[in-house]
Parts: sequence; structure tokens; C-alpha cells
Amino acid sequence: MLNYDLYPWQHNDWAQLMRDPARLPHALLLTGEPGIGKRRFAERLAAWYLCEDPAKTDAPCGVCEGCRWLAQGNHPDYRVLAPGDEPEEDAEDSKAKKKSAIIGVDDVRDLADFVNLSAHRQGARVTVVYPAEAMNVASANAFLKTLEEPPAGAQFILVAHAARRLLPTIRSRCRVLPLATPDLASASAWLAQHGVVQPELHLAHTGGAPLAALDDASAEWLPLRNSVLEQISMPGSLNPLALAAEIEKSKVEPARVIDWLQKWTHDLVGLGLTGRIRYYPDRKEMLAKLANRAPRMLKYVERLQQAQRLAQHPLNVRLVFEALLFDYLAALRGKLTG
Amino acid sequence: MAYQVLARKWRPRTFAQLVGQEHVIKALANAFANGRLHHAWLLTGTRGVGKTTIARIMAKSLNCETGVTAEPCGVCAACTQIDAGRFVDLLEIDAASNTGIDNIREVLDNAQYAPTAGRFKVYIIDEVHMLSKSAFNAMLKTLEEPPGHVKFILATTDPQKVPITVLSRCLQFSLRQMTPQQVSGHLNHVLEAEQIPFEPSALALLGHAANGSMRDALSLLDQAIAYGGGDVREEGVRAMLGAVDQSYLFDVLRALVANDGVAMMAAADSIAARGLSYESALHELAHLLHQISMAQVVPAALADDLPQRADILAIAEAISAEETQLYYQIAIHGRRDLALAPDEYAGFSMTLMRMLAFAPVGGAQLAAMPASGGSAASRPAPAAIAAPAPVPIAVETPVAAPTPTAAPVPAPVAAPVAAPAPAPAPAPAIEPEDPNDLPPWESLSTEPPAHVTIARSTPSEPVANNHVEVTVNVTGAEIPAVTVQIEPAAAMAPRLEDFSGDWRALLDSMKIGAALMLAHQAELTSWNNGVFVLRVNNANKSIATRDFQDKLREALSRHFGQDIEVSAQLIEEEIHHTPAAIMQRERAVRQAQAEDAIQNDPFVQSLVQDFGAIVVPGTIQPV
Ligand SMILES: [Zn+2]
Ligand SMILES: [Zn+2]
Repeated sequence: MLNYDLYPWQHNDWAQLMRDPARLPHALLLTGEPGIGKRRFAERLAAWYLCEDPAKTDAPCGVCEGCRWLAQGNHPDYRVLAPGDEPEEDAEDSKAKKKSAIIGVDDVRDLADFVNLSAHRQGARVTVVYPAEAMNVASANAFLKTLEEPPAGAQFILVAHAARRLLPTIRSRCRVLPLATPDLASASAWLAQHGVVQPELHLAHTGGAPLAALDDASAEWLPLRNSVLEQISMPGSLNPLALAAEIEKSKVEPARVIDWLQKWTHDLVGLGLTGRIRYYPDRKEMLAKLANRAPRMLKYVERLQQAQRLAQHPLNVRLVFEALLFDYLAALRGKLTG
Repeated sequence: MAYQVLARKWRPRTFAQLVGQEHVIKALANAFANGRLHHAWLLTGTRGVGKTTIARIMAKSLNCETGVTAEPCGVCAACTQIDAGRFVDLLEIDAASNTGIDNIREVLDNAQYAPTAGRFKVYIIDEVHMLSKSAFNAMLKTLEEPPGHVKFILATTDPQKVPITVLSRCLQFSLRQMTPQQVSGHLNHVLEAEQIPFEPSALALLGHAANGSMRDALSLLDQAIAYGGGDVREEGVRAMLGAVDQSYLFDVLRALVANDGVAMMAAADSIAARGLSYESALHELAHLLHQISMAQVVPAALADDLPQRADILAIAEAISAEETQLYYQIAIHGRRDLALAPDEYAGFSMTLMRMLAFAPVGGAQLAAMPASGGSAASRPAPAAIAAPAPVPIAVETPVAAPTPTAAPVPAPVAAPVAAPAPAPAPAPAIEPEDPNDLPPWESLSTEPPAHVTIARSTPSEPVANNHVEVTVNVTGAEIPAVTVQIEPAAAMAPRLEDFSGDWRALLDSMKIGAALMLAHQAELTSWNNGVFVLRVNNANKSIATRDFQDKLREALSRHFGQDIEVSAQLIEEEIHHTPAAIMQRERAVRQAQAEDAIQNDPFVQSLVQDFGAIVVPGTIQPV
């Protein structure tokens, strides 16, 4: 069952979009930080396209047949293009399917069939791509052709956390709609309504994104983050091999752990150079002890960016983090080269 | 009927409808009109300049039922089917997305069979440099002995990667990026035809934002129409683009000049509070730094009526040319890496902090900012400029300035005379770059200092004697000092034949003028027959315009006393051997060494231990 309600901070963006529904483009790219509710916005728009109520204004009616099909999760003219499960190597192997982080070129080819078929119902055929940056170069290029000259009635809603990672040719074929990150007060209020005790702190951890902050308050990876941050805040006793093994064992996705390292390093540099802490105000004391090394951590910031760029690829998690943590120590000593 | 986006609706279907590629269109149209048909063309240019659009018009020209023509009729079966993308004898291959498919090879192997419906079997191969090896060989086979009924129209954004075997068989056309004026002019035409009201100033903004791509421009125009609820006004377009008021950027630069991290973050916050785009903020900042750099080299290059002229000149005086280059580079890289930061604000503020880390200690003195001129009038310069605020958490200790231990980086050696430079053997453009194959300046700049001192005579220095004396002193004392005598060149002007390929040294030895930024951000790949081929990262596109290339060409021609051509190729991949990149690396090494020296200084160490003092980072500077 999809929830079509907007989050409180999204009403302006929605009104902006609905100002002139007749001019809605066939491809819309929703952008913004992770955890601000882009996906729900996309689903509401998809529902709006598929709603068959002739009197609909700016919201799907929720009761017509189109809306009911969609709510039941089997609308024939609705597709979500997302990183899928990789096909099982061996049908008899009972191991869980391996989760892929990539939207592959085959997925896009399958989509082309869907787009080019005529609609089952009233005309609109809606594809949500989530997240669009999960397409690799080959699938993005294949998608480009679909996107460029789709048959009438095909609607694409792309969602991107980092639109700059998309092929520029994809971006330029879409109308871009940046979705707002809410201000601190309304985000805190919303989190408090949802039972979060220290909303400001969790918002800090996520750079202000409320849904991510909700997750931050209760995620199952919290113990690992605490452990990682505690260990790297005491470089004297940090054992990269042990911590990398711990990270691997946790099965938390590498991109998330790299994100923590990036935020920690950002705070180190920020505190040292400008007296600012952005993400981990709760760890100010430990940050302050290391902040005098801020300038030499700039190189490490780049190192982490490279790691983040590669994080979607299947890599040996333990080796990745061993290298990153050894480099962290080297950077603190001013010995990081490359 | 769903709304059709303008980029699709206005996709040119005839040569006459194309904007901004007159030189190519004229040549092509003449050839088609006179029936002089090559069998393979290669269209090159950055994305969005119209390569596939032109290719499709060419396909119509070749197959139009009215005969081979520069003006395909657009109504015959061939023309309409090509426009609709379902003409049997037009085979469009996108090498970028199909690299893994075997049937491309098959499709290419079928070239020998005669066309089914048309006059010619036309292959359009987009991003041809990305073809798989087997597909490539199949194409080459046909290309080498093309049947009369086959035409190839190849397109690429990266001609350097197209093998010479292909290049030599194609008639090559390079498509230019549209100027902002061409773009806004076309938008004007579109809006009038669509009967949508607009303000011309809004189109100028869009023209700049489109970055030379008409498709981007039309896509932005669509957004602007939706954003403005049916008309296109400057205010709305500015808001939609997240365009940054330059006064905020001057706040950033003033804080940087004063080395004031607190003020810098305050400026960053005011940009954030207004919901402006960090991407365009960094883009604008780079643009501003470019203007500052020009003001440093040729102050007259700034237009008198430039709104921010006085502010630009003030900053230009307060920071060195090298710093300007460095900050520019940091801004460009920061923009590129925005998506890799935890969030965009973090990426933006990290970019500013990176600049701060390289800013000179104590902050330079900014000449009194003008009371009038630009936004400075309405927004008084922050007080922080006069007295840099200390970073609050740091405890400042009276640290004596350390004796510099960092050895000076050896000056790049240009001496065209020490030993006759080996004949330059530039790598052919098509060969993949070998990372181990460092250009000469790379090895020079990493050479351990103080082993060899070479009294060098730069070509521009006046030479009194009629010979140049080069003394090489080797401090190891095992090898005796060598003195080499060399007959002077006929004229004292530096000669192109003597140029060793050391681009950075060359730049150091000549007057470049307004193209300095371009020269520093470029990597020299070859200089055969007086054609200097430069590679420039796409991010630096705005400083590699035809205008700046011309200026560089003039400077080089002046320097060598002969006509020089400059060809700057924009590429997507990172370029590591530009003088600017090398200077930045050198500077980072010096900084690290200076910091190491002070962190390891016993006196400082004991202060830190005894009093918990913290060395204020960034206050340590290599001397
Ligand atoms: Zn409905
Ligand atoms: Zn025709």
C-alpha cells in the first residue's frame, strides 16, 4: 500500500509542480539529499498520473480503479526501475539472492519493452527510477535512448540523491525539480511527533534530512557506528585490522560506513579550520583533541571521496576498510601520500 | 496528447534549422549539393552540440527520394521514416550502451549487402571510440574497402580515442559549442514562435547556464516556463537556477584573504540560507577567480563597466597570481566532487576550507574596499577583514616562526641549450595514456633539490655575450663542473625547434596575458609543426573558449616569432600534468613538510604537553 500523503515540508514543491499540469514533461528528475522524502513524492506523482478520476485536481483520488490497482501493487502500467536482485546462479541453491546495487543494462532493456507496449489502461505508463544514479554507464546510455524519444503517454520520474553523478546527457533530457530539505525547526517538530527524543542531534548526524534522522534514531547499525567513531577518535589505540574485520562482519553497506568516516573527517577539518562541527556535536571533546591536525586531513578527505565513488562496486569490504583506516592513521601523522 | 518538451519539438530537421554550426553546415551542404560524397564522416564535439542531429539530417540528405540533396524534402517516405526513427537502411548504433552486444558485429558485417529501401545504407555510430574490439574490427574492414552503397557517419565526444586508422579514412568535422549569445538568440526565436512572453535578460541567464549545449538550453527553458507559470522572467529564472548573487562570493573571498575561517563559514551560511545552488556557487566562484586572474595579468582586460570591477581589482591586488590559480583549481575540483561529499553543503564548505588551508598566514591586507561599485555599496565589507578573528577553539601560543626546513622546489629547468634537447617525439594522440610516462616537468619537479644547480638563462633574458654559458655544479664533487659552450641561435628569439616540451617552464619564460589560466590548466600533448595540442578538463571549459585559445595562440606566436596554432581539446577525464595541478601538489608537499617541522619541534611539543596548547592549524606556512 502506497502512502500518497506529502511530508509537511513538501507542500510548496508539490504546488509548484502542479501549477501547470498540462506542461508536465515526460521526464522529471527529483533531486535532493537522501532522507528528505523524494521517493514518496515520486510515488504520489506516479499515482497522480495513473489516477483515472476525471475530476482529479492535484491529488490522486485513491478510490478509482487505477488508484486501487496501484494500491494493490499490481498496476500494469506502473514500473519501478531499481537495483534488483541478481538472478540466482543455481535454482536449487537455497542461498539468499545477492542484492545488487546497480541497475543493469538488462533491466533497462526490459523497461524499453514496457515503455513501448501500449498502455493497459487509460494511457499513462509511468516509470519511477530509484535511485537514478544506480544506473551504470552502459545502462544509463541504454536508458538515454528510451528517454529521448519515448512514445506518447510514457512518463518517467527519476529520483537522484546525487544528480551530479548522473550522465549529463540524462540530466539534460529531464526537467530537474530540486526538493527542499526542511529547516531545522520544522524537521525537529516532525521528528518529535514521531517519538524521537533528541531530534536536533539526529538531524545533525544526517545533515538535516528528517527521514534519515528518524532512521538514525533507531537503526540497527547504531552500535557499529558508535564503535567505529569511538575507535577512530582514539588513533593511539586504533587497530585497523580488527576494526575492518568488525565492519565486514556487521554486513552494513560500505557506503554508509564511509559516510561516517567522511562526516568525522569533515568535523575534524571544520573544527580545526573554522571552529565548526556539523555532524557529531556529541563527540566534540574527542574531535577537539585531534583538530590541530586539520590541514593534513584534507588529503584524507579526497581519499574518502575516492572510496565513496567506488563503494557501489563489489569490493572486498575488509581490505577496503583496512586500507582506509591505515590511511587515516597515516593522514593524522601527516604521512598520507598519493 | 502529452506535452512535448521543447528540446524534442525544436530538434532541427534540416540544415537550415541548425544554429551555430555554420562552418560545418556550409561544407556539408556544398558537398551534398554537388554530389561530392565521402564515404565516411566523423563528427566531433562535446555533448549537446548536435552531433546526432546533424548525422540524421545527413542520412536524409543521402536518402531523400528527391535525390541526394542539401535540402531533404522532409515529406517523402525516406525522410519521414528517418525522422520517425524507423528507416530500414539507417542503422544507428550507440557504442556507449551497446559495447557488450555481439550483434553490432553482425550488423556491420551485413554492410556488404545492398540497401533495401534507400539509396545508401547509412551507419550512424555514436561514441564510436567506445565500440567493442570485435565490432570495431568489423567496422574497419568495411571502412577500408567500402562498398559504394555504404556511408558511415561516426560521432564522438573524444576524438583522441579514435584510432588513426579510422581518422585517416574519415572527413572530420568538429562542431563548436554554441556561444551564450547564439543560445539566447535561438531561445528568443523559440519563445516568439511559441507565443510565450519573456524578458530578454532571462534568456541571457539561460544562455550562460546552458554551457554551450542547445539541448540543455531548451530543457532549461522548459523548466523556466513551468517555473514561471507560463512566462519567462529574469527573477524566476534566477531563482530556478539557484544563481548566486556575486556579493556573497566576495564575502567568501574577503574572508579568504583575511584568512578568517569564521567569517568564511558565515558567508557560506548566507548562501545556504537562501537556498542557492552550491554547484552554481562554486561555478561562479571559479568564474570570479578567473576574472581576478585576468585582472592580475592584464588589468585592462576587465571591462570598464563590469559591475564588480572595483571588488575584483581589490582582491586581485591582495592575493598572488599563484594563489588565484590554486583557488580556482580548488573551486573546480570541489564542484566536480560535490556528489561525493556526505551532502552538498559539506562538499561546498569543505571546498572553502581547502582554500583556507592554503591561504597565506595572517591574511593579506586588502586595500580599502571601494565605497561605491557593485554591491559593496549596499553591503559594507565585514569588519573581519581588518582584524582576522582567531579560530575560537584553538589556543594560540607564541610560536616563533620556524626556520624553514622545507627545501625550495627546484625551478623548472628550461635551458634549451645544456644538451641539445632530443627531438620532440610527442605521443601520437591515439595512444592510451601511460601513467608511467611522465612529462619532463614531472620528473624535474620531483628531483631531490640541491644536488644540481643549473645557472639557467631563460630565453627571454637578454644575453650579453654571443654565447650562452651553462654551468652545472654537482655538489657530490666527484664529477667536475662542466661548462658547455653553445653557439647562439641566429636570432636571440627562442626557437620552436629548441622547445623541449617543458610546458610549465615555457609558460614561466613568456608573457601570456589573459590566457594564463587556460595555459596553466592545460596539458601539452604534442607540438608538431607548430600546432600546440592541449588537453583541458571539461570543467575548465569556460576558460578554454575560442577567445582564450586565440589569445594563447597569439602569445605563443609572439614568443617563438612564428605562427603557432593552438588546439585545445576538452575531455572528461582528470588531467594530472597541468602546470596548475603540479603546482598544487608541490604546494601541498611544502605545507605538509612545514607542518611536520613545527609539530615535531621540541619546543612546541613541550608547550602542547605542558599547557595543552594547540598549534593553530593553517597558521603554519612554508616559507
Ligand atoms: Zn484515482
Ligand atoms: Zn525526402
